[in-house]
Amino acid sequence: MALNIKIIKESLLRLGPLILLIYICVSEFHTQFYYWKIFSFNLQFIIIYYWILRDPSILGYGFVFLCGIINDVILSLPLGTSPLSYLFVSLVAAYVRNATVRSTLFTDWFTFVVAILGGNMLTYFLIKNFTEMQTEYTSVFYDSMFTFILYPFFWGIFELYKRFIGLRIYD
Amino acid sequence: MATSRDDFGIAIRSALLQRGAKQKFSLFVLILISIVIFAVDNTEIKPVKVLRSLINDSIYRVSAISSSPLRFASGTKDFFVKHIFIYEENEQLKTEIAELKKQKFNTSYLETENKQLQEVVELDKKLAFTTVGAKIMLDKNSPYLNSAIINKGSNAGIKLGMPVLSKGHLVGRIVEVNYISSRILLLNDLNSKIPVVISPSGDQAILSGIGKLKPSLEYLPENFYPGDNNLVYTSGKDGVLVPGISIGKVLMEDDRMKVKLFTDPTQIFLVNVVLEQQTDLEAM
Repeated sequence: MALNIKIIKESLLRLGPLILLIYICVSEFHTQFYYWKIFSFNLQFIIIYYWILRDPSILGYGFVFLCGIINDVILSLPLGTSPLSYLFVSLVAAYVRNATVRSTLFTDWFTFVVAILGGNMLTYFLIKNFTEMQTEYTSVFYDSMFTFILYPFFWGIFELYKRFIGLRIYD
Repeated sequence: MATSRDDFGIAIRSALLQRGAKQKFSLFVLILISIVIFAVDNTEIKPVKVLRSLINDSIYRVSAISSSPLRFASGTKDFFVKHIFIYEENEQLKTEIAELKKQKFNTSYLETENKQLQEVVELDKKLAFTTVGAKIMLDKNSPYLNSAIINKGSNAGIKLGMPVLSKGHLVGRIVEVNYISSRILLLNDLNSKIPVVISPSGDQAILSGIGKLKPSLEYLPENFYPGDNNLVYTSGKDGVLVPGISIGKVLMEDDRMKVKLFTDPTQIFLVNVVLEQQTDLEAM
């Protein structure tokens, strides 16, 4: 019985990043952290990039796709826009994982630029060419910039969380 | 050089096709599915629209529930911030009260005069719209869209393009209708373009959202100069919006003609969707 509870706890801890990703896609996270018409950041990109790069067993591509669909519905974007953008971020992360032997914060951080730029440019391209929606590219730029700046902060938090999960599993 | 290109190809191929630990789908398959969904969603096929509407309805409900803790946290923060600045606000309010007391006498005289004039020209009409009340479920101010989602949809007779009022003033129009929810495109959104008329001059213009709190006026006559009391109303020139709905006051800001909206789009909670305009007889 005690063993079962321990297993359930460990499974829930491993599901933490996925639950967080789904929650921020479903909730009004972007609205709550959108100040002065400048400060906003894409936490989804950070979560996806970090976990696909560091521990892909935590975050499945299928869930990344699903979160993208939810995000499209919430933001009223054509279905498929965010999944493509999120999957691009996953692709960059998977590529970096395959191509590098030992990654550090700095290698992760600088390759993250490619993921943010590619992901946001893909969204911008799809919106601009296939819908009648107008977008303020300065806002998208600020969003990308703050996402990049805040990556080390979340990297630190996720590293601690990863160690915590590790300790929980192997203690 | 060739080896480096080969390495790149191998790494990309591996990233795209490899399913790896606990992955049920490869990235390549999911990217293909996303492209298909994107293409299908852009078509105007009715079953797809119905399906999208069902997905929207269910996700909006879940979103409204799940975002309540964040909204509570945000509300609590606002509450404390307001209390911190309460002394300053109190001083400001005292000054305002003193000014308002002075104005009261003038207003009283003007009110009487206005009433008499209204009786003369028979302009004392009540709200001439049939509306349906709705509550804001979600309000989204993302870099892509300034919109709000309400808890009424086609089940309450709401249709695309219908104007939405808050406290009797226009705040936006319906751009998406589901069965039990709808999306309002707010006046300050980049995609919002509304034909308006400026009172008392009668000049026509387009009220255009610029992604900021105050939308701007475009296509004004060259000789237009903003006075002290230039008010903006819907002109109804597009044939969709009802004419004569009040919107805001004209002001000059940053060398641009802007409109200070009567209702702050970030503060709306309850709205009225205008279903149709009543005849004069019904209004009376």
